[in-house]
Amino acid sequence: MIASQKVREGKLVKVEVECGESISKIKITGDFFLHPEDVLDEIERSMLGLRKDADTETIASRIRSTAEARGAQMIGIGAESLASVIKEALK
Amino acid sequence: MKWRVVKPEVYDAYLNMALDEAVSEGVRSGSSPPTIRFYSWKPSAVSIGYFQGIRDEVNLEVCRELGVDCIRRWTGGGAVYHDYGGEVTYSVIAPTGVFPKNIIESYRLVCGWIVKALGSLGIEAEFRPVNDILVGNKKISGSAQTRRGGVLLQHGTLLYDLDLATMFSVLNVSRQKISDKMIQSAQERVTCVLKHCGVGKEDIYEALIGAFTEGKEYEFGTWSRDEMARAEELAEGKYRSEEWMFLR
Repeated sequence: MIASQKVREGKLVKVEVECGESISKIKITGDFFLHPEDVLDEIERSMLGLRKDADTETIASRIRSTAEARGAQMIGIGAESLASVIKEALK
Repeated sequence: MKWRVVKPEVYDAYLNMALDEAVSEGVRSGSSPPTIRFYSWKPSAVSIGYFQGIRDEVNLEVCRELGVDCIRRWTGGGAVYHDYGGEVTYSVIAPTGVFPKNIIESYRLVCGWIVKALGSLGIEAEFRPVNDILVGNKKISGSAQTRRGGVLLQHGTLLYDLDLATMFSVLNVSRQKISDKMIQSAQERVTCVLKHCGVGKEDIYEALIGAFTEGKEYEFGTWSRDEMARAEELAEGKYRSEEWMFLR
């Protein structure tokens, strides 16, 4: 399942998920910036096992806590807008 | 702090990006000075942002037919077509403490040097956050930044001439991006120096070197043997590898 959006912070985000009852695989791509860059791998890992019907706030909260734990900065993308693209991909 | 300025050079995509990383490592360890460099890409190449999917962004078949290289950058941001004759690329590599902590402000600082260089050529340009420089609402320059291990690397491109036919044949331009900006055609989104000012590339380099070095202590220099050896290692072992290319 795929969703792609130009998010309100300005950059394009594409999410590809494989999902049964819960997320088993996810790939996030786009022209955004995230410092440090390897935090995206951690954000992807933090999504694994998330239930298909998870709400956007639950997804955003996982993204935020992963990013904050690493002191990451997102540019052109935000936790909420990334979460809404993931939610869209799960539909 | 004394900067090293490396005058315009020409390398292929892999060595260009590998040099940026090798020098970043050197600045981190203290063996390389803070560096400003200018360069072109031969053969012409497409670079994609660290987080982009190469198949989403690049028409690999057309690239192969045209002999255009493809490379994934170490930095985020979007896909760029680096035409050998039609653009100028720069990199700035220095300890993060030299720049504003706020990322947008650090883009504003470095992009301000390009705006100033264009101004000295009579082209009125403006920085548009996050990472673009516009002339008359059209993009003329884009930059990308990474901060790793206390070192900031910002590199970017300045369009000198446009080969739109090739640019849009090698890039898969996003329909969303175009429609969002309510622009009818992709061609209307970009401009180049030659559309505004009939200067040679040498004049642009001169203007850029002047603006980038203003108020700085600097000397012209080149790569150390260690830097070049490390860059060659990274070019072959990392940037040319399928694993890196198809990372996402």
